[in-house]
Amino acid sequence: MSTTALSIIDTDIHERAELDALVPYLDKRFRHYITEAGWVPDRVLPYTQLTAGGLDRADAKTADGRPGGSDLGMLQEQVLDEYGHEWGILTGWLNASAFHPGWAEFKTALMTAYNDWQIENWLDKDDRLVGSIHVNIHDPKGAVREIERLADHPRMVQVMLYIGPTDSPFGDPIYHPVYDAAARHNLVLGIHHSENSRTALGFHRYFIEWHTLVPQVFMSEVVSLVFNGVFDKHPDLKVIMIEGGFSYVPHLMWKMDQQYRELRAEVPWVKRMPSDIVREQIRFATQPVEEFTWEQFSQLIDQMGSDELLCFSTDYPHWDFDSPLEALPTDMPDDLKRKIFSENARAIYERLPAKAPAAA
Amino acid sequence: MSDTTAPAAQAGANKSRMRVEVCASEELPAGEMIGTKLGPMPVVVVRAPDGTLHAVLDKCLHQGGPLSKGRLGAASMESSGVDDYRDDRSGEILRCPWHGFEYDIRNGSLLAEPSRCLRTFTVTEEDGKVFVSL
Repeated sequence: MSTTALSIIDTDIHERAELDALVPYLDKRFRHYITEAGWVPDRVLPYTQLTAGGLDRADAKTADGRPGGSDLGMLQEQVLDEYGHEWGILTGWLNASAFHPGWAEFKTALMTAYNDWQIENWLDKDDRLVGSIHVNIHDPKGAVREIERLADHPRMVQVMLYIGPTDSPFGDPIYHPVYDAAARHNLVLGIHHSENSRTALGFHRYFIEWHTLVPQVFMSEVVSLVFNGVFDKHPDLKVIMIEGGFSYVPHLMWKMDQQYRELRAEVPWVKRMPSDIVREQIRFATQPVEEFTWEQFSQLIDQMGSDELLCFSTDYPHWDFDSPLEALPTDMPDDLKRKIFSENARAIYERLPAKAPAAA
Repeated sequence: MSDTTAPAAQAGANKSRMRVEVCASEELPAGEMIGTKLGPMPVVVVRAPDGTLHAVLDKCLHQGGPLSKGRLGAASMESSGVDDYRDDRSGEILRCPWHGFEYDIRNGSLLAEPSRCLRTFTVTEEDGKVFVSL
């Protein structure tokens, strides 16, 4: 039963696969990489989460011990039905862009398998869910091929990249063909951090340090995309930064603008003030939210110069899940609530149908 | 750990409007907890390792996470510096299943910020049954 009258477009819900479940969807040439050679996803993060349930909400794990996000029925009960979601945007579990670039062909094929698994097991089973095309950014040609393969799917709304451990920020021109393909098909480019994303100084001694510094890597990617001309090349491309929060955004806008005034000659292909680029083409999923008062929150909105930059997200089923009912200041005016909980997302996810179908 | 919510039907044994029977005493052994309702309020009742009973609001002060779905355990107590870990209060610290906020079950206070406290309730044990009241 819905507990809120708000229309909610949730921009970050993680469905979860068991690796073995992907094997039947994987190109036969590569199945033995998993079944016989024992490949498992890279995980660089040197700690686990010292929470009640580890990576997941303690109440999101299945009765038989599978990770949160593994079970459609639980996801429906704890999120889609609980809060009356209009749309849930699936953002995945496995994204090769977060891995080491090696074995690029296998990892590109793995993304194809993952996308097909996602469609068959999630999108085809609940009409409130829409999906992301996961690609391997380290194989740009393969990534473009995967986007073209699925671009006509009516429930795919974005191209998904997870930030990995490499030294190549996403603004590098070698990746631009991927953005060409996303823009050509009116797909949002979603960027999500991962357990392989470093801080500016690598991995600190404690998880609390790493998690506090997650916004750093999003700042790096925004700077890279802006100053490498991605938005000038694709003025219609929309990018959403997912799971980095948003309180860093005013600082970054001010800092980029000042640097542009001083150092514009180095990047003459950038034709707008960076803060204008952000307001026109970049959005920020809200989770994880600090405990803001309405006064603090409204000041941040004022400092961004727009109330259209934030899109609500829960990050279900993870431990730092944000509740639609209590994460943001409850005394926020209704018109701003409508924007953050649905209208801002609807404005960039143009491939979302105008009206949600009846719940499954 | 028990994460079973006592059926609302058990409240039928109320002696007054704001006092409810939670469960039989043997259903709540030391080191376990159970969720119930006191009127509209979700309440989690805990039996500490020393056998004493405690009850706090079953709703995290942060984002409303259901504490009875969390974990009862120990706490890392304040220590002298890096690498000095001192676990204590085993079974007396209730951890939210979502973001991990830690509460002292004896007074409802948040360990990281003791001025923030969960509402507490009175728990009694009579004739082999556990009751919670305002």
